[in-house]
Amino acid sequence: MLVAVALFWAVALVAQPWHTAIAAEPLRSITRFDGALVDHGARLAALGNCASCHTAQDGPPYAGGVPLTTPFGTIYGTNVTPDPETGIGNWSEAAFKRAMRKGIAQDGRFLYPAFPYDHFTHATNDDLNALYAFLMTRQPVQSRPPANQLYFPFTVRESVAVWNLLFLRNEPFRPDPAQGVEWNRGAYLVQSLGHCGSCHTPRNALGGEQRRAALQGGEAEGWYAPALDAQSPSPLPWTVGQLTDYLRTGIASDHAIAGGPMQEVVASLGQASAEDIRAIAVYVTALMASSPDGNQSRATATRRRAAQPLANILPAANDAQMRLGAAVYAESCAACHDQGRLSSSNSALQLPLAAAVYEPDPRNLIHIVREGISPVEGMPGRWMPAFGGSLTDEQLTALAIYLRRYAANASPWLHVEKVVKETKK
Amino acid sequence: MTAIVLYVNGQTRQVDVDPATPLLYVLRNELGMNGAKFGCGLGQCGACTVMLDGEASFSCLIPVEMAEGRTIKTVEGLGTTQQPGILQRAFIEEQAAQCGYCIAGMMMRAQALLERNSSPSDVEIRRHMAPNLCRCGTHMRILRAVRRAANRMHDV
Repeated sequence: MLVAVALFWAVALVAQPWHTAIAAEPLRSITRFDGALVDHGARLAALGNCASCHTAQDGPPYAGGVPLTTPFGTIYGTNVTPDPETGIGNWSEAAFKRAMRKGIAQDGRFLYPAFPYDHFTHATNDDLNALYAFLMTRQPVQSRPPANQLYFPFTVRESVAVWNLLFLRNEPFRPDPAQGVEWNRGAYLVQSLGHCGSCHTPRNALGGEQRRAALQGGEAEGWYAPALDAQSPSPLPWTVGQLTDYLRTGIASDHAIAGGPMQEVVASLGQASAEDIRAIAVYVTALMASSPDGNQSRATATRRRAAQPLANILPAANDAQMRLGAAVYAESCAACHDQGRLSSSNSALQLPLAAAVYEPDPRNLIHIVREGISPVEGMPGRWMPAFGGSLTDEQLTALAIYLRRYAANASPWLHVEKVVKETKK
Repeated sequence: MTAIVLYVNGQTRQVDVDPATPLLYVLRNELGMNGAKFGCGLGQCGACTVMLDGEASFSCLIPVEMAEGRTIKTVEGLGTTQQPGILQRAFIEEQAAQCGYCIAGMMMRAQALLERNSSPSDVEIRRHMAPNLCRCGTHMRILRAVRRAANRMHDV
């Protein structure tokens, strides 16, 4: 162990030259920013959802303090308002760009990669200039986030040097000349400011994204972040239109209603540039499409199944759990979700189309049933009641097993009961 | 028809119904507890809210068989006309009801919060009460009534 730690330090020290402070540049010396540039920056900040880590619940915008739970401890989002003492008010544009691209703060300290500079490193100069203009024109707020609570050796910031050596590819985005402008813009945004891979790519033991499994499905706050490539769980192929709608409103009638951490992302994406969101949809739908023929036959079969009332299927009478699941479905879900019983808002997902029942594990389904879906405060959106107070763990387990069998017609999930316990808040 | 034993407001009651009947119908039609109301039947309005094992739940969406053996509390369990409970008194004092259709549900959702947390912040009250709707628009009075009840429970 001691040898490993020593080796770790040796590598850390040799791996990366020390970074020096970039001279503090008081905000007053910055004359003014062009309004159009600030607006562009605002849309990019929305696209990158900076606020999710840098704006605390009910706190002032971008003043930091959001706790992020990682396997390495808890890290608090920093204050990125132009306050000179506690924010980035003294940061020059060069210092800001170095932070975004290399994860080094203005004073030379290593920033922790909970800040996804491994994605932002690919951002263009133009986009970073705009983001800088946007942040520097925010209301300065004097506020120091709580101290991080990390485990050794991560308490020592230099340990990040090793991480950077392993996982930081400090290079600009390279467009694919074989693809169109929109595809390339989408690819650029997904890989850089959008940092989609932070959740949708699986991570290794050191918290680095598994490059070979890029966008093949990851995790966010106990939710499954679905695969965005050919492994996409949705039985109907996503179209550019449906994915654009989903990213801007959280609603895709043929696939999903955004829940969990994605809800907040969507609320932010709604403020981004419509063209940029469409470009992301163009790129991601292209990633998802692998064998159009196979997808087509699966889609037809799914549509046919979705046209049948789910509740009419009578599960084998001797399977008590399946019967319980069917009963829960019939009484608690079917009034809104079942074909032929559509009522009221006429808008609940037909469950044979719902991505959640096709995912590799039942986490998202259980989260949604238990917690319901309520729009982000102040935003419009779909509403589904939370059933956590009504359904017992046993009923929830039975429902998930039933839906996997009769809505998805897929092979049973393993350990549903365990997931029901683990996802409990 | 199946015999089902329910534990409502501290009493054991037996009903003989189709096990798939929503709990709301059983409370109203079999047990004569007309506090919980039918609003939408879809869990979208909250008029039917009762407490199930301490949690606010939509009784229109719960088959009665799934409530068997669990602790059910309805607005009738909070007090009587002669002796209203703390929450009921607060609703009266704030004159929080206009037509009154949503109020039983509102009280049961509020009760679930106050039993768990007797000194909620205004934001917590607001977030917690969000699923229940009032079409008359007395939400502000309802929030004040919950605040008043919380203050009183806290003083006790």
